[in-house]
Amino acid sequence: MKYNYLNGKLTIYLEEELDMNSCKIIRGVIDGYIMKFQPYELVLDLSDVKFMDSSGIGLILGRYNLIRLLDSKMKVINASKNIKRMIELSNINLECVQYE
Amino acid sequence: MNENYIKIESKSRSENIASIRVGITSFLSTINIHFDELMDIKTALSEAVSNAIDHGYGQEDTESIVTVEAWIRDEEKIIIKVIDYGKGIEDIALATTPAYTSKPENEHAGMGFTIMESFMDEVIIDSKINEGTIITLTKTIKKRKSNSKKVE
Repeated sequence: MKYNYLNGKLTIYLEEELDMNSCKIIRGVIDGYIMKFQPYELVLDLSDVKFMDSSGIGLILGRYNLIRLLDSKMKVINASKNIKRMIELSNINLECVQYE
Repeated sequence: MNENYIKIESKSRSENIASIRVGITSFLSTINIHFDELMDIKTALSEAVSNAIDHGYGQEDTESIVTVEAWIRDEEKIIIKVIDYGKGIEDIALATTPAYTSKPENEHAGMGFTIMESFMDEVIIDSKINEGTIITLTKTIKKRKSNSKKVE
């Protein structure tokens, strides 16, 4: 998992498949970076995510709650059509999600 | 009736969910099916198998068995059964409520059944306490792959 930190903005490039198994590991890694950099803005880039189920929604929601605790902003970018449908379905308030 | 069938038996380990997804998706790819519908079925299957492992058995139990059976009837009707022999679902109405999760500490979105119901034609839940749960997912293929090839 690649990341980039510049001027208070932390970008994380998620990859491959986001399911119950991978999310368990990934969320610890992302939270580690968030704690280390305490960014003003977190960007999750989904360009290279090939599959995601509701565990991925849980992952996004969990990071969103953490980022709000830090009074920072969050953005999810490059979500595919399938991911978009799932996020819409979950009816969660994710104005931070932008689609490709 | 032309019927094809496959069965996958797996230990209840979360790292096997990906292998089950690949196995069943590859089986379904033997018929003409559009990528979007295949992804919908793959996602619904992933939700059902994750539930079996996380709720049917609990993630600390990695030695139990999850069985997935799939049928293709007349190249258009798909039936998938996800079977566990775990705890069973106490309150099905509550479990299927959107955004409800019995395990918020695991950061679940509580969207599993909502996704299954939206992405498939029919979801049947058959559950008995301390005997297990059978989730039956069915879908009739509507969108086919286009036969035309793009000319480069």
